[in-house]
Amino acid sequence: MSDPLSAALHISSSGLRAQSERLRVVSENLANARSTGKTAGSDPYSRKTITFESEFDRARQAELVKIKNIGKDKSPFTVEYEPGHPAADETGYVKMPNVNVLLELADMRETNRSYEANLKVMTQAREMVMRDIALLRD
Amino acid sequence: MLEQISALTSGTDSLLKSVSETRFVSAGPETSAVGQAGETASFSETLAHVSQDAIQRLKDGEAASLAGVDGQASVQHVVEAVMAAEQSLQTAIAIRDKVVSAYQEISRMTI
Repeated sequence: MSDPLSAALHISSSGLRAQSERLRVVSENLANARSTGKTAGSDPYSRKTITFESEFDRARQAELVKIKNIGKDKSPFTVEYEPGHPAADETGYVKMPNVNVLLELADMRETNRSYEANLKVMTQAREMVMRDIALLRD
Repeated sequence: MLEQISALTSGTDSLLKSVSETRFVSAGPETSAVGQAGETASFSETLAHVSQDAIQRLKDGEAASLAGVDGQASVQHVVEAVMAAEQSLQTAIAIRDKVVSAYQEISRMTI
């Protein structure tokens, strides 16, 4: 038998971990939004995607969240005409990453909201445990 | 800090034994045999087990915060471990206070 409140703490902690991993992916995408390939005509940085899945924790009888996969976005790259660029092909076009900065910022906001929600659960569970202990005290 | 806590809990345990011994004396021989075999022994055992658990959690919390300072553990891990340690410490303190007040209650009893 496991304590539901400590299970709640553990679950929201796994949520926090998942969301911080998501933020890491978003920051990679944002930082590499203009990273091109090294040689002429080579592929630039391709946007990374992150997916989650639930994982059953037998010890706590609870469903945690974990990262399923960090994959690559297969959508086509945009091209820009820049003949002087080292990664330009013979026609003078450079492949640019398929990162949409607006999309990444929206994703970041969602990550932030989800993180906050998990933190709220943690605060609530902790408060409830502390109230229980206070009941024991006086 | 941990040594003090373990000293405290072992002190609590011995105190508890003396309390239950007082109970045996006051309860008489026939009930004391039942009590010794059954509930009282298991109660102090349970308390010792719980305090061991609390000490283990405190140690985990300290190890996690040290790893966090080193940059080897994530912030979430440190927070979770320290919160678990805090909860067990608060519970241990609350139980100790209860046991001490129970002991004082008994020692104040008029014979």
